[in-house]
Parts: sequence; C-alpha cells; structure tokens
Amino acid sequence: MTLIADEVEIEGPDPLARARSGDGEAFAELLAEHESMVYSLAYHFFNDRDRAADIAQDVFLQLYRSLVDIDSHAHLVHWLRQVTTRRCIDQLRRRRLRPVPIEEAEHLSSPSGDPTLGRALRQLVATLPESQRLVVTLRYQEDLGPEEISRIAGMRLNTVKSHLHRALRSLRRMLEGS
Amino acid sequence: MNLEDELKLALRRKEPPPGFRQRVLAATRRPRHPFRNLAAAALLTLLVGGTTAHFIEERREGERAKEQVLQALRITSHELRDTRQHIHELTK
Amino acid sequence: MRKAFLALLIFAVTTPLQAQKVTIDIPGLAEKAREVVDITLDAQMLRLASKFLSSSDEDERAVRGIVSKLEGIYVRSYEFDKEGEYDHTVVDKVRAQLGPSWKKIVNVRSKSKKDAEIYLDMRGGDQPLGLLVISAEPRQLTIVNIVGPIDLDQLSHLEGEFGIPKMSKRGDHE
Repeated sequence: MTLIADEVEIEGPDPLARARSGDGEAFAELLAEHESMVYSLAYHFFNDRDRAADIAQDVFLQLYRSLVDIDSHAHLVHWLRQVTTRRCIDQLRRRRLRPVPIEEAEHLSSPSGDPTLGRALRQLVATLPESQRLVVTLRYQEDLGPEEISRIAGMRLNTVKSHLHRALRSLRRMLEGS
Repeated sequence: MNLEDELKLALRRKEPPPGFRQRVLAATRRPRHPFRNLAAAALLTLLVGGTTAHFIEERREGERAKEQVLQALRITSHELRDTRQHIHELTK
Repeated sequence: MRKAFLALLIFAVTTPLQAQKVTIDIPGLAEKAREVVDITLDAQMLRLASKFLSSSDEDERAVRGIVSKLEGIYVRSYEFDKEGEYDHTVVDKVRAQLGPSWKKIVNVRSKSKKDAEIYLDMRGGDQPLGLLVISAEPRQLTIVNIVGPIDLDQLSHLEGEFGIPKMSKRGDHE
C-alpha cells in the first residue's frame, strides 16, 4: 500500500543550532521570532519607544555574542527575558530616572470603556516602582506565573506576589481617580 | 472593568520600529564579532559529546556572575564620576 | 626562640599583602527599603565571571583586566520611598572597621544633595589595595567595597561603555 502525504515537512536543524554555527540568516530568524517580546518588555518598562529600541538592540547584540551558551529554545526565551529586564533595571538605576510622580499620573486615568484606557494604563504602569513595574509587565505581557517571574527577576516568590498585589492596588486606586 | 484583562490588552506585545531588525543585523556584521569563534565553540561542543548538566549549570552561573560584575562596576563607576562632578560643582 | 622569631619575620616579609574586606551589611535596612541592590562576588565568583567576559569585545576585555586582579566586589544599595527613612549614622559601623592603612581621599558634604566619602587602603604602598565608597543621598544609600589592586581612573572611565544604550533624543510617549 502506498501512502501519499498531502504535505511533506522536511525538518532541518533549528535556527538556534544553525545560528550557533555561524548562520547569519538563522540569527535573523531568531531575531524575527523574538524581537517583539524583547522590545515590548523594554517599551512597557519605560513607555518610551526610542529607549526600548536601544535596549532591545543591545540585548540582541549580547545574544549574538552569547549564542554558544544557549542550549535550547526554552533557555533562549528565558535568557532574553532575564537579560532584557536586567538591562531595564540597570539603566533606570544608573541614570537615576524617577518614575512620573503619582500626582502627575492621576490625571491620566480614564473611565472604563474609553479607548484611551490602554494608553492610560501603560502610562500608569510606567509610574510604578521598578520592581512592581517589572512584575506587572512580565505577568501581563508575557502571561507568566509568579514562579517563572521569580526565576527571571531573581526575586523570592513571596516578593513577586507582594509586588503584584501592591501594583494592582496602586493601579486600581489611580484609575478610580482617588 | 476587569483590570487584569485590561492590563493584558494594554501590555500586549508590540512590533519594534521599522528598520530595527536591519540595524541589529548590521551591528552584528561589524568585525569585532567574528562568527569563527562561534563555529569553533559549537564544533568543540559536538566533539566532546555535548554539554553535561554541570557544564550547563556552570555556564548559567557564570553568566549571572558576569552580569553582577558588570552591574557592580557600573554602580562604582557612576558613584566615582558623580562625586567628581559634585566636587566640581561645589568648587566652581 | 630566635629561630621562631626569624621564621615569623621571614613569613611577614614574604607573605603577599592581603587586602581587607569590609563588612558593609547594615542589618534592618533592607526591610525598610523600596529597592535593594545586593551584590557579593568573592574571588571564586570573580574568576568564574571572568571566564564569561568576552575577549573579543573591547569593553568586556577592559572589565576582565580590572577584575582579574581583584579578590572581591561587594555592593549594597538601598533606595527608600521618602527622605529620612534611614539614619545616616548607620554607616558608622562600616567606618569603624577601617584601620590606619585606609586613607580618606574624598569627603563631600552637602545638605541638599549627597554626602560622599571615598577611602583607599594604602597598605600596599603606592598601589591601593582596596576601595570603599559611601554615598548617602536623602533617599538612597550606596556602599561599595572593592578588595584588591585598584586603578581609580580605570574604574571611573567604565561608565558609558560596554553596551550602555544611547540616550534617546526625546521621550517618545504614545
């Protein structure tokens, strides 16, 4: 009996393995696959497109130099999230940036149902203290659970939960326009 | 309004600006990052039969230690320069 | 007796000078702080980190050069929500550990901005063998102790290198 398949899928070495051996196109594939994740983490941390692009570029350049140390796709994703968040925090501390004061941010809140709510939320998230901001971004952008967030951010699990709880409380308060 | 649902919407992933990918790839082609080192390291890994769990763990620890070194030296350097600047301002 | 004394003298002269590690932990402060940076890198961790600093990257090579001679890097940085949340005298215990070989090379006092002290351990003669930085701002306290041969110029020029992103031209908000 002869079976004829409708589709034939030929599996070659995955992009990570090819990129490790020096394949530039494979690295471009990795970039295409993960650029929005890395860029968005930085963007939601700073609410600033230029800064996010700069950080994302540096993360991928560091990845390019460190490819030989990445042993699996799962490791790659974890590595990208971890390095991106560390660069964001490091840059924030280094430049002594202060988040927008809460008093200034309160007027940005919008009633629910308003199409600018998303924009308002992003701006409010950017006013949170850095650890809360980080936890909220990882939780809601990447849909990660507290355990994974604690591994990426190097925080204790209870600390992650506490930051999340406080962040949501602050955001609710600001949105309610107290 | 469910805040968590709204947060998921507000914080969904965005595409980087146009030209981002080209800029990154152009930067990787600069001479100080030759692919030869990567190819040699990958070949060595194959020859010794792949990485052991210990080796993988050591690499992860090493990367973490390296990030901490860089952060520590950045903080130190910043404090030294900030202090120098402060002295300069006070003695103007 | 004389042989023992001579042995001790030879030992003292030929043993390499050991840089001093300063204990910079301040109990109770981390709990009050909003954010804490806590970095502890002994000689073993520094050797491990060095292996992962790229020799083809000019900036990481510079860091590797600095770190290769060090025995430890310790950083504690505490950031608080409000002014007055920490007592500036908490660093007295850190200063109290400094022996006569430690020289204060910078002492800046400013009511509104920042108090800063920089000490070098000069037990090695011309080459400092340790660095202690105490930086006290109204809402932030940072203490850095580096153990090992120090080049202050080299250290202070590191900022602005190794992958620090360029400053954005403007904060582009949606």
